[in-house]
Amino acid sequence: MRVKDEKKVVAIKEKALEILVNKGFDGLSMQKLAKEAGVSPATIYIYFKDRDDLIIQVALEEIQKMLEATLKGFSPEMHFEEGLKLQWINRVNYFLKYPMQAHLSEQIKYSPYYNIVFQKMDKTFQKTMGEFVHNAIKRNELVKLPLEVYWSIAFAPLYQLVKFHTSGRGLNRLEKFVLDENMMDQTLKLVIKALKP
Amino acid sequence: METMIEKEIDILVFKTNIKYKKDLEKVQDILKVHPKITKWHVDLSDRDKVLRIESIDILPHQIINQLQQVGFSCEELPD
Repeated sequence: MRVKDEKKVVAIKEKALEILVNKGFDGLSMQKLAKEAGVSPATIYIYFKDRDDLIIQVALEEIQKMLEATLKGFSPEMHFEEGLKLQWINRVNYFLKYPMQAHLSEQIKYSPYYNIVFQKMDKTFQKTMGEFVHNAIKRNELVKLPLEVYWSIAFAPLYQLVKFHTSGRGLNRLEKFVLDENMMDQTLKLVIKALKP
Repeated sequence: METMIEKEIDILVFKTNIKYKKDLEKVQDILKVHPKITKWHVDLSDRDKVLRIESIDILPHQIINQLQQVGFSCEELPD
């Protein structure tokens, strides 16, 4: 009878994450992954039936962890300003602490894998954020917008600043860019101003 | 810590030369009706065309023999 070797599974997933982020989806093959993770291809196939299955499982796990981190200390009853600020802080903290995982989530979001990952995802996050937005609209703290428009204003500015920060460079590639707390506060204030009814 | 995947279910992994969809149909005829096989999958994108089988109490050489009989190469991949 076969026993599950957690250490090996962790090594496989970690290495897969690294390859996916550094080399993209096409850069990952089971053979290469086996070599780099120090396991036999057979071992990988015990846990994953093919490359797609592996990518989906790794992505699902990382996205799930990210969403859990995002909800830390958060409640959908929060005042809109307070709640959005906490969302920004939680997301920034996660992105800066786990840049590779954050990168993979972005890669997945704009790939054909996302449909499957989304279907399998625990929907607690979507539900909580949905309630938060509805409550805020009801209390007249937030203007009613199509979801994508809301998201683009509420979060895209932060995500772009984080991208500049992780690359270390701003629009002017010659100068170093560091996202600090003041800059974040400044941006968040503008975002909240834009979203006020 | 080591934990059991699932009681009684064993996973076998083979290197094969199952290359095309029509090959898969032939393999399916054997594996689908096999009473001891609960799940199977061939990774056609991999160099080794890996056949993965979840089964209850089956021996690797039984699979190897059956695939060879319909003209495929099949060898167990060492863990």
